[in-house]
Order: sequence, then C-alpha cells, then structure tokens
Amino acid sequence: MTIDATLPGAMPRPARRARPARWEAGIGHGLMILTALICVFPIYWMIVTSLRPENAIFSTRLWPDTASLENYAYALRAVPIRQMLVNTFIVSFTVTVIQLVTGILAGYAFARWRFRGSALFFGAIALTWLVPLQVVMIPNYLLVSRLGMIDTLGALILPHVASAFAIMLLAQSMRSFPSEVIEAARMDGASHAHILWQVIVPNLRGTLASLAILIFISTWNEYFWPLLLSRTPENSVVQIGLQMFITSEGTQWGPLMAASTMASLPILLIYLVLQRQVIASFMKSGLR
Amino acid sequence: MTETSSSLPTLSRTRPREITPRQRLYRRLRPYLYLLPAILCFVVWIYEPLARAFMLSFQQWNLLPTTPKVWIGLENYRNIFALPKFWQALANTWYYLLGLLPLAVALPLAIAIFTQDLPARSRNLYRALIFVPMIVPPVVGAAVWRWLLDSNHGIVNLALQGLGLEPVGFLSNASIALWTITFITGWKLIGFSTLILAAANASIDEALIEAARLDGATRWEIVRDIRLPLLSPTILLLVLMVVLLGAQWSFAYIHVLTEGGPLGATTNIYYLLWQFGFGSLSVGWSSASAVILFVGFGLLAMALFALKARFSFHDD
Repeated sequence: MTIDATLPGAMPRPARRARPARWEAGIGHGLMILTALICVFPIYWMIVTSLRPENAIFSTRLWPDTASLENYAYALRAVPIRQMLVNTFIVSFTVTVIQLVTGILAGYAFARWRFRGSALFFGAIALTWLVPLQVVMIPNYLLVSRLGMIDTLGALILPHVASAFAIMLLAQSMRSFPSEVIEAARMDGASHAHILWQVIVPNLRGTLASLAILIFISTWNEYFWPLLLSRTPENSVVQIGLQMFITSEGTQWGPLMAASTMASLPILLIYLVLQRQVIASFMKSGLR
Repeated sequence: MTETSSSLPTLSRTRPREITPRQRLYRRLRPYLYLLPAILCFVVWIYEPLARAFMLSFQQWNLLPTTPKVWIGLENYRNIFALPKFWQALANTWYYLLGLLPLAVALPLAIAIFTQDLPARSRNLYRALIFVPMIVPPVVGAAVWRWLLDSNHGIVNLALQGLGLEPVGFLSNASIALWTITFITGWKLIGFSTLILAAANASIDEALIEAARLDGATRWEIVRDIRLPLLSPTILLLVLMVVLLGAQWSFAYIHVLTEGGPLGATTNIYYLLWQFGFGSLSVGWSSASAVILFVGFGLLAMALFALKARFSFHDD
C-alpha cells in the first residue's frame, strides 16, 4: 500500500474491470504459445518422422515433403503391433468396466448405509494410493506366478479390479444425489438393487463417463506392471512393443515413431473428439 | 436434512410383512457384500503384499522357487544403508523432486495467473494444446524425447549446432541426464497443473480483486496479497502430488531413456527397487528398500497433510 504513493502517475486504474493492458495480454499470449509449442511439438515431430521415407528420416524440414507409410508397414511386420493393440484394448476396456462396477457397488454401500467399520474401510481404501506399485511388486509378481498367470492378459487386469479413486468419487456423487428421489422409489417398494441400477446409475451418466475416460486412458498408458509380466510380444500390450525398436545396436527411428504414433492414436482420437470431457475428468482426479 | 424421516417406522407401510431372521441377517451383511469386490482387490493386491514385502525384507532370497528363503534379520537393512548406491538414489530422488517443483508447480502458477484475462476462445485452445503431454502414453513420450534429444540426429542438437553451439549429451552426460529426465517428467505435468491452478484462480471472488483495485493495489500486490494466499491450498495439493508421486512418474522415462545410468546418475529410489528386485534378483534388498521407501514417504505424506489441513482454513 505504501509503495503506491511513490508510483509515478497514479493511473486511472479503478475504472478498468479486469481488462489488462495490451502489452500484458501480449506477454500472456507469448507465454502460452511458447508453452503450447513445447507441449505439442514433440508429438508433431513424432508423426512427421513416422511419415518420412527411410532416406529422409534425418531430414530437419518441419514438413514431410513426401509422405510414406513405409515405417508403418515395417513396424507392423517386425513386431506384432496389431495383436498388441488388440490386447491393450481388451485390457483397458475390461478394466474400465470392472472398475466402474466395483466402484458403483462400493460407492453405494458408503453413501447409502451406516454400518460398523465403514469409516475404517473408507480409510483403508483412501490410503491405498500411499502404497506405490514398486513397493508391492515382488509379492504381486509372486502371486501371479503362483496362479500360473505370468504372460497372460488376465494378470494385467486382476490388480486393477478396483480403484480407490473411482470408489471415492462415486461415493461422493452418490451422497449428493437428491434423497427425495431415492425415498420416492423406496415408497414404491423398489429394492436397493433396483434403486442403484435403475435410478442412481442412469442419473450419474456424466460422472461415470468421465470416470470411464480416465480409467481407460490410464490403463492404456500403463507401463510398469506389463513390463514385469510380459514374456512374449503376442501376450503383451503395445507399450511394451515400442521398446523392441530400441536395441543396443541402435534405434530404428522411423519404425519407432510409427509404432509410437499407433500406440497413442486411440488416445489422441478420444482426446480430439471428447477434449472437454477428458480435461474435465483429469481435473476431477486432482481436485478433491 | 430429510434423511431422518427415512428411518421412521410410519413410512414402512408399503412393506407390511415381517422380516425373517434370514432377511435380517442379509440386511446386516448387505453393505459388506457391496464392498466385498473392492475390499478383496485391495487386500489381495495391496495390503497382503505390503505385509509380505515387510516379511521378505528380513530374508535372503533370489526369487527362484527352488532356493530356500533364509531369515537374516536386519542384515538387508544394514547392507543397504552401507551401500553408496542407495544414498546416491536417495539424493537423486531429492533432486528429481527439487527439479519438478518449479516445472510442475511454479511455472504453471505463473502461467495460470498471467493468462487469466485472455479471451476465452484462445484460452481454450491453449488449454487443449498444453494438456496433450498428460494423455500421451509415458513410453511414447520417452521414445519421442529420445529421438528429439539424440546426440547425432536429434533435432534439438541439430538446432544447437545450427546456432554454433556444441552438441549436448542430454542423456549420456552424467551431470545432465538427471535434469533431462526431470524436464521430461515435468513436461508431462505442466498442462495438468496449469489447468488445476487456473480453475482455482478463476474461482476467486472477483469482488475481492475489485475492492483491492479500488483501494489502489497494484497488480503485483493483488497477486501477492490476495491470489497467492487464496491459491495456497491448491498449490499445496499440487506440491503434495509432486512430492509423493513425482519420482514414481519418472520410472518409464528412466527405464526407456537411461536405464538408471550413466553410472547410476539417473537412478532414483523407485528405479533402485526395480534393479534390486528384477535386475539382480535380490528380493531381500528390494523389499528392505521398499519398506524404507514406504515408511519415509508415509511420514512425508502425513507431514504434508498436516500442513495442508492448516492452510486450508484460508478458504472459510
């Protein structure tokens, strides 16, 4: 406050409502354009490189003059990428559906009933994110091996049958669900199962959709757990396949970029179509 | 407000029949049945393994079913604490966090505050663009950066050479590689943090800002005395996320880009666990460091939570 008096020319500031000076807007735009470039250029460069014919792979032109699908053909021949993409899709889809179901059931239990130990259970679920996967990796690996499930897709799904985030988010949104609607259904003699699946779930479509996006993307991107379990490319996910183009003799940049593009294409497509929902669901995961 | 009425017996006239003991038992068990799938998953894949990791940390074993486990007490812990590699990894973990905080908290904070007044249209476009790294698979991010930073043909080094500079061994130089990995981890988070902070910033009551402005506060004073204090719970939340998860997020980058090298320069504590467990098959060492990691980060989390609880009073 005291500084203000010494400022030269007490500008007619008060009348201006949140309208920044032109140079400030300029700096804002500049800052954002720079950040956006740093964020997007690597992905752009990946796609451009993947489209270059082999003799132009080291070209530094920002635009591919002659587009070719050579690298894609090679990548598909060298590594069973197609099978891996299918596997990744199966795992991500299954995990998404199961996590939603277990989340809906558990969320309903917390939101609807008061029962002995409910706080304890809730706390135990909330605390799971304090346990990094690296801490429990050896016992988990041993369990999978005892089940004889090393190198299977099932083993990639099983540890992700439930997620603390899904449960807590759904419990929260079910708690704020209008109780009059539920009471009305109760009066009509509806069972709990009926209320849950016919009344609440259809009304939580938005939350469930954004949750599904989040689960699908993070399962698709998962790397650590598949890395532990994968033995053969045919039973593995696409994230593991990428590494096959990086060898000690050198890296096949063209095919690697083509495979990388294929591995991120489904996610990028989801993002192109559902951009707003994707951003919103990721933000929900942080804002709690 | 209305939930008290639900338990009143007068409302149950639509269900006049008496309940059998069997039904009563079912009613009491019902919440647990709904919880069962989730709880089972957490017990089988998180809590039981946690206890098992604790047990394994007192044993010597090489992961082969044919060799017996030998109980050696605290020997693993003693060995690990005597290992320079462990302290190096711990120091590296610290550097990762130190490097990530400016990238994943301070820079996004500046961007969020600086761009709050931009027109909605361009702001949405920027939002969409800076968010892309967050959704790209980490392995893809690693592969792409490996290509960009390649010492012979990578475009970054070619650009540096174009400017008349020496090429930089971003991933092969022991004193730079750690910061490269930190930068890539931060690259992934910038968009996410910016959006979180921008949302919190936008929810600040404009009347407060307006009042301060009428009082003659400068733009910087408004940021320092109004925005930053009101944003502090969100800032703390992000700090919490970065501190607890940051080093973990770098795993894919380390594994694909440097495998912990050169000379352990990029090995953090999470990567060390992986090397102990699946590189050198020393289950005891890996488990002991897992226990140390879990306890250490648990204490850190509690401290940060306490701090956050104290700061959150600002809201009210």
